[in-house]
Amino acid sequence: MSEEIKTTALGRFGAAFAKFLAYFVMVLFSLMTLYPIFWLIMNSFKPTREFQVSQLGFPHVPTLKNYGGPYGAWKLGDFDKLIPNSVIYTLGATFGIIILSVLAGFAFAKIPRKATKLIYASFVIGLLLSVQSLLIPLFLEVNIMGIYNTRLAVLLVYIGAGLPMGIYLSTEYIRGIPTSLVESARIDGAKYFRIFRSIILPMTIPVATTLAILNITGIWNEFALINILVSKTELKSLPLGMYRFSGSLSSDWGKQFAALTIGTLPMLVFYFIFRKQITQGVAAGAVKG
Amino acid sequence: MKRLIIATLMVAVVALGAMAQKTTLNVLYYVDATVAGYDVDQAIWAKFEASNPDIDLQKEELFSEPFHQKMQAYIAAGTLPDVFYMWPSGRSEAVYEKHLAKDLSKLLGADFLKNFAPTATNPKALGDSIMPASQYQAIIPQAFTLTTAVYVNTKLLKDNGFAVPKTYADLKKMVPKLKAKGISVMMLPDKDGWPAQSCLFSTISGRMVGDAFIDQVKASKAKFTDKPFVAALQAYANLFKDGIIPAEDMNVGYSEGTGLFAAGKAAMYIDGDWRTGGYITDKTSNTALISPADQESSFDIINFPSIPGEKNAGVVSGIAGVGYGINNALPSGSAKEKAAVRLLKYLYSPEVQKIRYESGAYVPTLKGVTGTVEPIIKKMAAYKNAVAKTTYVLDGVLDPSVFNVLNAGLQGMGLGNVEPAKVAADMQTAMDAWLASKK
Repeated sequence: MSEEIKTTALGRFGAAFAKFLAYFVMVLFSLMTLYPIFWLIMNSFKPTREFQVSQLGFPHVPTLKNYGGPYGAWKLGDFDKLIPNSVIYTLGATFGIIILSVLAGFAFAKIPRKATKLIYASFVIGLLLSVQSLLIPLFLEVNIMGIYNTRLAVLLVYIGAGLPMGIYLSTEYIRGIPTSLVESARIDGAKYFRIFRSIILPMTIPVATTLAILNITGIWNEFALINILVSKTELKSLPLGMYRFSGSLSSDWGKQFAALTIGTLPMLVFYFIFRKQITQGVAAGAVKG
Repeated sequence: MKRLIIATLMVAVVALGAMAQKTTLNVLYYVDATVAGYDVDQAIWAKFEASNPDIDLQKEELFSEPFHQKMQAYIAAGTLPDVFYMWPSGRSEAVYEKHLAKDLSKLLGADFLKNFAPTATNPKALGDSIMPASQYQAIIPQAFTLTTAVYVNTKLLKDNGFAVPKTYADLKKMVPKLKAKGISVMMLPDKDGWPAQSCLFSTISGRMVGDAFIDQVKASKAKFTDKPFVAALQAYANLFKDGIIPAEDMNVGYSEGTGLFAAGKAAMYIDGDWRTGGYITDKTSNTALISPADQESSFDIINFPSIPGEKNAGVVSGIAGVGYGINNALPSGSAKEKAAVRLLKYLYSPEVQKIRYESGAYVPTLKGVTGTVEPIIKKMAAYKNAVAKTTYVLDGVLDPSVFNVLNAGLQGMGLGNVEPAKVAADMQTAMDAWLASKK
């Protein structure tokens, strides 16, 4: 009897300790994630000279000069032009990737033909290619096609680059949908596109959400491809503007941090607005996909 | 009504004519927006655009690796911009090898070139000794860069009873007293890997083995493992062993160094001549890391003190600076070529070079440029005038596969993790591999 009470007390202590440990680890990791963002935003309000002698302290007299004015990060980085471009590229390419991936995924998973395996493999092999290996061939292609320095080139390349992962995830996800649903609809006389629109598309929302999350963050932050696809400031995107502030001989840290804050903020806003959908989308995509 | 239509048509024709006459000039420029004097730099370009309405300047600004990636892509596609930023040697190797830049000596003419320092218009002196293709006037270097300059806090030294050092022994004497106060004798922020090689060891190498030795190594007639070169590495390692430079500096970022030095954390600071721009008054915020009054009274710039065993006393590592190339594909006498020449003549004009000089960017190769500058820039000009002979900057004459090994080795020696003989052996292995790849 006494032994049983001892065990229970120990058990309670153990449970409390485990709970404490779990919270401790979670708080620690949360701080490790949030502190750099806080540090970045805090230092963006310091003059560079102050940052050079005090990197961890709060700003003595917070200033907005790093952001505004004729020599602030907003003007120097041309962010008024770059942010709309980033929105266009990110939303346009993500939409294109999702639609084409789900359409292709339906075809690969539910409309088997002799060439299906070969075509599917030729798309998925794209997962193995590094962006660096494609830079010069893509630059040559867009030049030959006469679309260098156009938004079309950026959208086409982004969609092309996103399709291997999109098609892979969509195909695997749609394979999990019972084929009997498609066959029943065919028996009822439905064409493939009608089946796609009425049956498949509503069921692929989880994988579409996963694709949206992956591509929105990826394209928003993409640098290497857009660097070689456009040269006009009017066509550049946010990462190119942010990179203008990251010289190895940098002396103006204040503006650099302001530029990084401007670049990070839209993604943070996006996360706060859609955090519920993002969490659900990742979970659904992961479980069902 | 008829008259109105005719007048409108005439205006339209004139406007179309003016538009048709506008020449588009594509320029690939190398700059980052955080560099000191960026506002001044932008104003220079804006003035050219304003005073040349017949030229449509399409300027693409990139920096560091993205610049080189884009350049590589342009070269591969054969779509090089009309005017582009380029280096006098290895970093623009592909441009030289394929002769993608026009010969400026023919394009700009002798009358224009005679305004520059003779070395700037001597292609044989500018080009890389191992790359004959680079030995033509593809660019006019805007400046000559001394990659070693010792910035001295003279007030700090005086307050502690020391004079400005002239020898290695003078440096050693300072260690106990300054160390006890938590002050470094010399600061060398090398977290980024290149400053130790570019701003210090190249000068040590030049003084102890000289350029001829490096040429011999490149010709397989000597080896980095030979005693003199190992001794040069040892001289560098001794700076850390003797406490003159703290090992902790190997973890200090290049951009952090100036602030720490200005805050009195070190009596001396090792950097290149370009760093004056970081200390002078920032015109946008009207603040200076070191005020002009303090620059005058409490700071100086000196040559690195003499090193025991040096053969070439006083030499300093130096290299020709960057310039602008014109695309060789532009047809001779074309409107584009004329526009490119006009841009180059403007960029090298006394007006622009004076602005560059006053903003602390560099001391120009264009003769006779003077201006109102802060004391530290005057002191830098005096230091540069006093340097009688320069020596190789090693990352300018060795292949990256070799100087990257050196950079890592210098960091290791600074931290006390590796011996000079091992660094020399690793460099020779890398050199042998590079030589074999060239056969």
